[in-house]
Amino acid sequence: MMDDREDRLDNLIRDAARDYHAPPATPRAEMWEAIRASREAARTEVPPLVTRPARSPLRLVFGIAALLVLGIAIGRLTVPSRGSTPAAPAQSSVATAPEAAAAPAQQRARGEVAAKVATDDHLTQVETFLTEFGTPTAATDFSAQAQDLLTDTRLLLDSKRVVDPRTRKLLEDLELVLAQIATLDPREKNRDRDLIADGLAQSHLRTRLRNAIPAGSAIRL
Amino acid sequence: MEPTSLVARVLAGDQDAERELYDTHVDRVYRLVYRMVGDGELAADYTQDTFIRTFERLAGFRGESALSTWITSIAISVVYNGQRKVKRLRAREIDLEHADRLATPSREGDPDLKLKLAAAIEELPTGYRTVFLMHDVEGFTHLEIGSALGIQEGTSKAQLSRARAKLRQQLAQYAGDLAS
Repeated sequence: MMDDREDRLDNLIRDAARDYHAPPATPRAEMWEAIRASREAARTEVPPLVTRPARSPLRLVFGIAALLVLGIAIGRLTVPSRGSTPAAPAQSSVATAPEAAAAPAQQRARGEVAAKVATDDHLTQVETFLTEFGTPTAATDFSAQAQDLLTDTRLLLDSKRVVDPRTRKLLEDLELVLAQIATLDPREKNRDRDLIADGLAQSHLRTRLRNAIPAGSAIRL
Repeated sequence: MEPTSLVARVLAGDQDAERELYDTHVDRVYRLVYRMVGDGELAADYTQDTFIRTFERLAGFRGESALSTWITSIAISVVYNGQRKVKRLRAREIDLEHADRLATPSREGDPDLKLKLAAAIEELPTGYRTVFLMHDVEGFTHLEIGSALGIQEGTSKAQLSRARAKLRQQLAQYAGDLAS
């Protein structure tokens, strides 16, 4: 009796559910136009020059260490040390006007070079990280690494020295993805990881990253 | 035409074959996507993304499942991914226009039941809701649902059963009417 009533209620629900979000006629032509245009754009897109193999988390750790060393080296190169500044002879302290004007420009140029090197290295790290993340068998907890990279990404975005609009757009997109990874729900980690990986594929983010990293700037591990 | 030869033609760069593949599968994809999101613009966007990704990934299609099931799995992934972004921007609401349409009396239906049912379906957990819509509304088999969602056929049956139980619970007041 109870089962019979349940069956009848199920049937009633099923009938009523046919009107739930009832689809209109498929807008075939409009959708096909958009698909065709996207396919055309994809065909004319330049493929990435280099496909790098996936790297292990251990290599990532070494990469970060190498980046730190590189950062210190850049710091030493760009900030003039007290010892290296000669006790200025009288004539140089009364520097000529062009020399005085050239000093800030030189400093600015040094700063820009340092920012470019730091950005390239950061992008290399993120690329390594995302490649690892996209490996189906990888079992590492990525949230902490993503959090660190997210912090660096935000620092670069806040820096006035990163002026190239394409680089800034790339950093903004990376910020979103890294934020998603950093807040992965541990209970639904696998499904969420798949969704993020799908999102990555959709936005061609890894391809854009590889194109943004100049040849030879990758940390060789 | 055999799906495998159609796939081969698409992979060889035949643009007519791309259109043919699209025409063969678009209705089923659009219907399911629309059922899941209830918004024409979003449904069109997700359907387009589904086919763009289908063409991009077609070289990886190994024929382990039917092509239609494989495309459905891409569609579901696109919808889930997209809806997470949409949810962040706005809380999901029942489409009022749709509700008005539902409120029109019909031969088989109590409009109040349909409104309550729509709200109850919205409240189902995503997995249950997807299985319910695929099976009871769009007529997919449990085998197809299992393949598309990457779950066992038995899991699909269990989720459907739980979805129906939750809906029955929400609409319990109508059980009394049926008994009379």
